Amino acid sequence: MEEKEIIKRAQSGDRKALANLVKIHEQTIYNFAFKICRDKDKAENIMQETFYSMVKSLHQFDGKSKLSTWLFRIVSNHCLMLARKIKNRPFVSLEDDENIFEEKYAVDWSTLPNKIAENEELKIILDNAIKKLTPDYRMIFLLRDVEGFSTEKTGEIANLSVPAVKSRLHRARAFLRNELSKSLQ
Amino acid sequence: MNEKTVTCKEVMNYICESLGEDLNSEKCITIKDHLDECLDCKSYYETVEITIDCYRKYNVKMSKDAHKRLMKFLDLDDCD
Repeated sequence: MEEKEIIKRAQSGDRKALANLVKIHEQTIYNFAFKICRDKDKAENIMQETFYSMVKSLHQFDGKSKLSTWLFRIVSNHCLMLARKIKNRPFVSLEDDENIFEEKYAVDWSTLPNKIAENEELKIILDNAIKKLTPDYRMIFLLRDVEGFSTEKTGEIANLSVPAVKSRLHRARAFLRNELSKSLQ
Repeated sequence: MNEKTVTCKEVMNYICESLGEDLNSEKCITIKDHLDECLDCKSYYETVEITIDCYRKYNVKMSKDAHKRLMKFLDLDDCD
């Protein structure tokens, strides 16, 4: 059965169809929430709140966008709301370009992506680097580069203009790349 | 680093802003030409791509217990 049909059934009160929608998207939403907050308990909590919002508001979903896009908008909002509650975290400023670019290329990076699955040390490096970004920068990087949304769609989900998305994206990319470089030296 | 029609810093900035976008603009062609000649910028470009790839491949699997808790939280555990 196509997702559109499952959505229609869920909107008309079919609880099995609703459960089916949750099962289709739960792993993606959990993964995204984890990538934003880098904490399994928080990711689970955000996932629960996201699907609770979906269940409450599914009757308002008009089908003009994909359900997954709609869910990403909801999960992004929940992630940012949680981040606002956690105050006093030291995030880096990305306003100064001079802090972003550095020019040392001593390490061979080519095998890194294939080491992710089994290399806990690399995971910690990646966690620590992205945690230094403010959650709104993190979100843009993850939506655009990791989830593969277009710049325009990322802007729609995050409620930002295309230039604002591009600006945050290039700073986040450069910052993460340089943090990884520093950690590998 | 090579500095001809564009500076390396401009190249790095542009790479970070435009990775994944349409690469056929006039500016992009200039950037590609620079990348062909400048090993430092080429290396920078590759490492930005690898950084993104690392984050793409870093995924976590949701546990069965987390799934059960979710369905219970939504009062859908009888439909599971």
